[in-house]
Amino acid sequence: MSGVTLHNVRKSFGAVEVIKDVSLEIGKGEFGVFVGPSGCGKSTLLRMIAGLEETSSGSIGIEERDVTRVEPAERGVAMVFQSYALYPHLTVFENMAFSLRLARAAKSKVQEMVAEAARILQLEDHLHKKPSQLSGGQRQRVAIGRAIVRQPKVFLFDEPLSNLDAELRVQMRLELARLHKRIGATMIYVTHDQVEAMTLADKIFVLRDGVVQQAGRPIELYDDPDNRFVGGFIGSPAMNFLPGHAAGAGDGRVGISLTNAGGAAIEAQLAGGRPPHGTELTAGIRPEHIEVSGEGIPVQVEMVEDLGGVSYLHTRTQDGTEIVVERRGTRDNLDGASIHLGARPEHVLVFDRGGQRLR
Amino acid sequence: MSTARRIENSILTILTIVGAALWIFPLYWAFVTSIRSEDRVVSEQAGLIPDEFNLASYIDVLFNTRLLNWYMNSIVTSVIITVVVIVSGMMCAYALSQMRFPGRRLLYGVVLASFMVPTQALVVTQFILMNSLGFINTWAGIILPQLIVPVVIIVYKQFFDAVPKEMREAVVLDGGGEYTLLFKVYLPLNWGITTALAIITFIMAWNQFLWPFLVVTTEDMMTIPVGITQVNDAFGVFYARLMSVALLGAMPVALAYLVFQRRVTEAVMISSGVKG
Repeated sequence: MSGVTLHNVRKSFGAVEVIKDVSLEIGKGEFGVFVGPSGCGKSTLLRMIAGLEETSSGSIGIEERDVTRVEPAERGVAMVFQSYALYPHLTVFENMAFSLRLARAAKSKVQEMVAEAARILQLEDHLHKKPSQLSGGQRQRVAIGRAIVRQPKVFLFDEPLSNLDAELRVQMRLELARLHKRIGATMIYVTHDQVEAMTLADKIFVLRDGVVQQAGRPIELYDDPDNRFVGGFIGSPAMNFLPGHAAGAGDGRVGISLTNAGGAAIEAQLAGGRPPHGTELTAGIRPEHIEVSGEGIPVQVEMVEDLGGVSYLHTRTQDGTEIVVERRGTRDNLDGASIHLGARPEHVLVFDRGGQRLR
Repeated sequence: MSTARRIENSILTILTIVGAALWIFPLYWAFVTSIRSEDRVVSEQAGLIPDEFNLASYIDVLFNTRLLNWYMNSIVTSVIITVVVIVSGMMCAYALSQMRFPGRRLLYGVVLASFMVPTQALVVTQFILMNSLGFINTWAGIILPQLIVPVVIIVYKQFFDAVPKEMREAVVLDGGGEYTLLFKVYLPLNWGITTALAIITFIMAWNQFLWPFLVVTTEDMMTIPVGITQVNDAFGVFYARLMSVALLGAMPVALAYLVFQRRVTEAVMISSGVKG
């Protein structure tokens, strides 16, 4: 059963179309993440599902029911805002009880549901406090608690961790993952942080300019991106892109003569048709797939970031293209050294001139 | 603290004290006058220092004038004006700030424009209107023209505009309508400015002179500021009694001011555009 379904959804603000024909499906109980750079329309899409923005055309379904023209409160969704949007004049208890009281729920039911949410979120000791007396993490938990008591079909999170410091973000991220496991509801989460997307999602939707670029399990998107944008957006440090053109081929492989690498070439595996000789191509290689070898692309190491278990070499080719290399289990100091880089053909992804992946 | 700084501070303190003394002198003089006998007030021996404690003028104005009536009229009209102005101003500002309807900008323009018309310019037409409605010498006649206080709408709108959009959306998702939004969220969030505006509206209504003076002709229906004018009659001016009425009339406002001092200062600053 599907949790949330979007069919050919469009949204325009005046003449500007910000969501362009988006169709997607998130299964019931799944954790879906909309990720993309700022201005890509991910928040607008979430707000359309919530009913806070009208849908210009297309339809939105929640658990098989068409809610495109249904009032926000009747859709069975609850939203957690980036700014938390807690009612500052009410206590934590009153904040969480607000929607139940509006729905004229019995006093005992309000007590019971707020207590249960407070227990899940470890807020029992703070129920009498005002939001201003809480830390950022606690406020975020109250915002989530407010969503939980409504027992929604779908939880919507709009960049909920953006206002927290780095340590707290990691902690809250884990708590959210645990919460999802525990209550098993459908959740949609918007973020521009691909680490959050990778760690939380059952399914990621990468958006750009109002179009879903690719949807799939995090690891699918990481290993097998459909285009250069997805390849570059998912993964940190980002994938290296080396421009070049097709030169020679054979045995399911294509050779790419690199433009900015002093005439060096690299081989990539291609199962499909091989592009004609001279076609403009871009090779995409993840930092962990680049090896320091005796021959290959000549580069100069400009800077080394040593994180202990892993180190990143920031290198540059003679013509100025930057290549980041991830190394593990070595203590060699290569700072300032001239080295050669290479990669195995199965780890080199090929993109055409338009940025589409060739497989 | 350096010597120069200390001298500077001392000079400032002295200047402040002088300023305060100048400001308080009329009040002090009113008080000293009010506790003298009428003869003493106009005698050449009347000095700056109180030389008698005579409550005759207070007793006289309490029992021989309509002061209690005037109190009643002032309280009733000021309270009604305050409540209606605040409630209607708040609702109007909420609509202008939060709801989307055709003509919204035009309506706000009208509110702003009405802010720019001095009330004195309207008294003649208002008098004719009240007369045709038969409201001369009634509470309604005193109250109605004073219900138009655009500054309340303008200040409220500024504060409502500043409430984060997410707050509104959270309420909408929680199933609340405009009533819930206004009375359960926007009003409590702006409780401070509401009390400030209420107090300043009350003080303005209480001190209002021109309009009540015009619309009321019988002594029974007068408010305190208008009533004061009745203390000098055919026998001449009774200074002691005049000052007694003035002090008694100012007392409720002075008390309100003392209790809500901070809020009043805040309201004056906001409505005069210093802040907000």
